[in-house]
Amino acid sequence: MFSVEVKNLTVKFGSFAAVDGISFTVEKGEIFGFLGANGAGKTTTIRVLCGLLIPTAGEVRVMGLDPKKGLEPVKAKVGYMSQKFTLYQDMTVSENLDFTSALHRIPKGEYHHRRKELLDFIGFRAGTGRLVRELSGGTKQEVSLVAALLHDPDIVFLDEPTAGVSPAFRARFWQLIRRLSRTGKTVFVTTHYMDEAEQCGRIALMRDGRIIALNSPEKLKKEAFPEPLYELTPLTHSRAWVGKLKNERSVLDVNPYGMRYHVATRDGQAFRKAAGHMRGDFEIRPIRPSLEDVFIHLVETKK
Amino acid sequence: MNGFFQPGRALSIARKEVRHILRDPFTLGLALGLPLLMVLFFGYAMDFNVHDIRLTVYDQDRSRASRQLAEVFQSSGYFQVRYRDLGPNPAAALDSQAAKAALFIEPHFERDLFREGTSTAQVLIDGSDNSTAGVIGGYLSGIQQAAAQRLTGQSPPATPVQITTRYLFNGELNSRWFTVPGLSVVVLAILGIMLTALTVAREWETGSMELLLSTPVTPLEIIVGKLAPYLVMGLIAQAIIYLAARLLFGVPFLGSHLWLLVSTLMFLAASMAQGLLISVVTRQQIAAIQFSQMAGQLPSLMLSGFIFPIESMPVFFQYLTMIFPARWFMIVLRGLFLRGAGFSELAGPMAVLLAMDVFFITLATKRFKKDVEP
Repeated sequence: MFSVEVKNLTVKFGSFAAVDGISFTVEKGEIFGFLGANGAGKTTTIRVLCGLLIPTAGEVRVMGLDPKKGLEPVKAKVGYMSQKFTLYQDMTVSENLDFTSALHRIPKGEYHHRRKELLDFIGFRAGTGRLVRELSGGTKQEVSLVAALLHDPDIVFLDEPTAGVSPAFRARFWQLIRRLSRTGKTVFVTTHYMDEAEQCGRIALMRDGRIIALNSPEKLKKEAFPEPLYELTPLTHSRAWVGKLKNERSVLDVNPYGMRYHVATRDGQAFRKAAGHMRGDFEIRPIRPSLEDVFIHLVETKK
Repeated sequence: MNGFFQPGRALSIARKEVRHILRDPFTLGLALGLPLLMVLFFGYAMDFNVHDIRLTVYDQDRSRASRQLAEVFQSSGYFQVRYRDLGPNPAAALDSQAAKAALFIEPHFERDLFREGTSTAQVLIDGSDNSTAGVIGGYLSGIQQAAAQRLTGQSPPATPVQITTRYLFNGELNSRWFTVPGLSVVVLAILGIMLTALTVAREWETGSMELLLSTPVTPLEIIVGKLAPYLVMGLIAQAIIYLAARLLFGVPFLGSHLWLLVSTLMFLAASMAQGLLISVVTRQQIAAIQFSQMAGQLPSLMLSGFIFPIESMPVFFQYLTMIFPARWFMIVLRGLFLRGAGFSELAGPMAVLLAMDVFFITLATKRFKKDVEP
């Protein structure tokens, strides 16, 4: 059984299609990543899956349940951490968790047990009597995660959970995500960070409401770059060769990458030969493609 | 699901809302401070009774009769008389704002009075301030009678038809008795609409509405839980105004307290439903504040009969006032305080209020549900 099944999902706001006929499945216990620019349709998809939005068309199953047949069973199985920070800043950690638990109608004994377990899970030490607004950004996000997990959902949707927190906290948070997935929970996460996307089991790349690629990070790289990828480090200030390279038949595309350039090729050998004529303009070195390369490549070529 | 209602969940929301209120000095200050401020302002500062009107007297006769005439003005208690010599501009005193009215006594005032049995004096009134002008005009007829008696030493001749007037319910036409009970309309309209609009808009703005909606909580539970604490605050505000009216200003309360409670709840419900509607439409606190000021203040101050009598409005506006709950609550309040109106008298306006409650609550709940339920 899949945790999530989506077939031809379309969500329209007026005439604008925020999500345009996407289909995918998510397996149980998987860390499934959604990657894409703002407005690509990631949040809209998540809101449909959490039962916050009725789709215009398409079939959706969440933990085998059809939201059309009732949202409440779906909401009971789903945990949601919104992009916006949704805890009440003027209430204490304890009060916030009590409140969330009451809305889910979690029995008292079970709640206290879950709460302790989850606070231990995130390694919470700030004190539950503290006002949420006094916590650091990262801790706030962790407490949000606890709130989303209180009712023991089978799947959690995390919409950009690490936006705006420090790199150290990002690493910690991803540790939590991996541990969650090990306990059998499905984690559905959106992110802007490529290094985070690398840690997903599979990722879907979204653009303008469509999924333009979906696979594990490794396979995505292989798919996008069957032939080698090269990094060129310029040796002079002249960039005349960039235009020349773009016209080479062996070259798929040339993209600036910081001070350097990444060149995707159709034929690695032919490219090395052609580049041999331009020795002196740049240094050349084969590299393993990163997800960022994949992302730029896909977005550039599918324009 | 639709119509599904768990009292426990509504209670949790209400408890959370109380925490917000107690931790937010603005809300608490607004709810408790506004009624006090309004009562003090309208009770003390905005006194529509006019005393000590500055009257400049141009006495060109300088006779006993002319001095007696001026004395009548002075001793009425409404005027403060100051003599002045007539210059080239007869309206100088009014122009310079030194006086609100001027009394001109022509030469031969006394001679005419005794020779012809009648004499004329002219009063100029500053018409730019028309509320004062109206009051002065009203005082003049009384003064004319008093003057006739004083100057001729005899009562005015009996007229075939005599109209004697007595003001019922507010014998001295004390304007505070009239305005202070009506303050409830203004305060509760503003509080009800603004607090509700803010509380829901805030949840949208901070994103916590999404948290609420991702849980199984239903729209009805959200609405009930959110509005209940503000309903209590509205009642506290009403109690403050009531106590101030009775204790500070000695306004009588002749009606039934039960009807006061019932009508207050009805009016609050209508106001809060409007606030809910506003917040659902705006979803932003700033916009919600602006909208609710419009929706709260304008009808309750201008179109409820609080300041401007509805009877003297153009016909169109008289009908317009009918669509605002404020007008009907005003009728109920003034009836309860000053006239001791009973149920038969209040049934009409209260029925209208009830109908408005049903209308606004249905509309707001529908809009709200459409918004939060996918």
